[in-house]
Amino acid sequence: MSSTATRPDTSYLLRKLHSFTGILPVGAFLAEHFWSNSAALVSSEKYNTVSQELQTIPFRLIVEWGTIFLPMLFHGGYGIYIWLRGKSNVSAYPWVGNWLYTTQRYTGLIAFAYIGWHLYTERWLTHGRSTYANVAADIRNPWYLTFFVIGVLASSFHLGAGIWNFLCKWGLAATVKAQQAAGRLGALVGVAFSLVGILIIISFRYDWHPFSVYLPNK
Amino acid sequence: MAETKQVIVKVKRQAGPKEAARWEEFSLKWRPSMNVIICLRDIAENPVTHDGKKTTPITYDSNCLEEICGSCAMLINGKARMACSALVDQLEQPIRIEPMSKFPLVRDLAVDRQFMFESLKRVKAWIPIDGTYNLGEGPRVSPEVQEKGYPLSNCITCGNCLEVCPQVNEHNQFVGAAIISQVRLFNMHPTGAMNKSERIAAIIGPGGIQECANAQNCVHACPKGIPLTESIAEVNRDAWKQALLSWLVG
Repeated sequence: MSSTATRPDTSYLLRKLHSFTGILPVGAFLAEHFWSNSAALVSSEKYNTVSQELQTIPFRLIVEWGTIFLPMLFHGGYGIYIWLRGKSNVSAYPWVGNWLYTTQRYTGLIAFAYIGWHLYTERWLTHGRSTYANVAADIRNPWYLTFFVIGVLASSFHLGAGIWNFLCKWGLAATVKAQQAAGRLGALVGVAFSLVGILIIISFRYDWHPFSVYLPNK
Repeated sequence: MAETKQVIVKVKRQAGPKEAARWEEFSLKWRPSMNVIICLRDIAENPVTHDGKKTTPITYDSNCLEEICGSCAMLINGKARMACSALVDQLEQPIRIEPMSKFPLVRDLAVDRQFMFESLKRVKAWIPIDGTYNLGEGPRVSPEVQEKGYPLSNCITCGNCLEVCPQVNEHNQFVGAAIISQVRLFNMHPTGAMNKSERIAAIIGPGGIQECANAQNCVHACPKGIPLTESIAEVNRDAWKQALLSWLVG
């Protein structure tokens, strides 16, 4: 066979890139983001210190665009294209995997819309210098609060189901047993991210800092 | 004598691919161990609808009546399955029978599954054993490979896995789970492995394995219990390795 014939189709490369960017860097950034925001659970000062640390990294714009914004835009944009090429049939075949297939599309769209809004309010409007006070003020708005909760749950679900999809689709979990284990791992990640995300929201909303006990006594 | 039990069957009929579809209802005499094919045969014997109107026998494919030939796949009560193993006593009535929706319609319940056979040709789903001279004996197949390969060789190309797949539709040319599983089968055979890279190259072409979105409906719908999702994962692993290599070293 000629060498040109062994070249993979462009759609193959784009699909693989879509799958890969979901974990790296998009999924990894979500983990980093939840981790940094958990600083609010210690104290508002800790949160401000951590945010300022991140807001003053060298080459900030390049890092933001290269590892966060562009990969997310590609993952979300190509994800919508994939959705349009599928035809959900969960009402005729209500199996768990089929439910996950459909839910993965809706949560992806919700997360994409939420992240766009979240970037606008917490990154754009504050000129990249968002503080604890900014976020706490926003979250007092019941509409903002609702959108925060929905966004956190949709993103967490999408990452959890995405990890399962990733492990199956790259052949890293091949046997039925391995795929079940991959499913449990995905579920664990989804639940853990949801919980941490909700705790962070509660922290901002009620000025609740349960880990302040770690701080030295004044 | 006790009143004879009736079986109510509704069949979606269409005289040709471009004709309008219509439903016809039949009431048949119940018999023990009746399956959907028997219903269709009974209608052919006496093609009169429930309202007493004379009609034509229903066109459908079927052959072996034991889930071996793969020809009688259709939608029964909205689900893709083999008509020969669809027992009337286990079905809710009226039993709705429709042709599969993912293949071009021929007439009534008969569809054209040529797409699957073309896809099998595309991925070279065979083992080349003929030459212009005697090629001699091939390598031995280990019992381990035999054990893995046998369930995959049970595929009857019925098309149920394509019918239930949300990724198989008019927007793309996804070949479906059955074909990917055949790539795995022929690649695991020591003689078949000689054409492994050609099969992988075909399966990462347009409509290839990348279209799978892991809904995993295929493995539930397969009448032969083939581990289709395992096959897809195995072929996926070989595929990205080959794609990465061809990208890096040309």
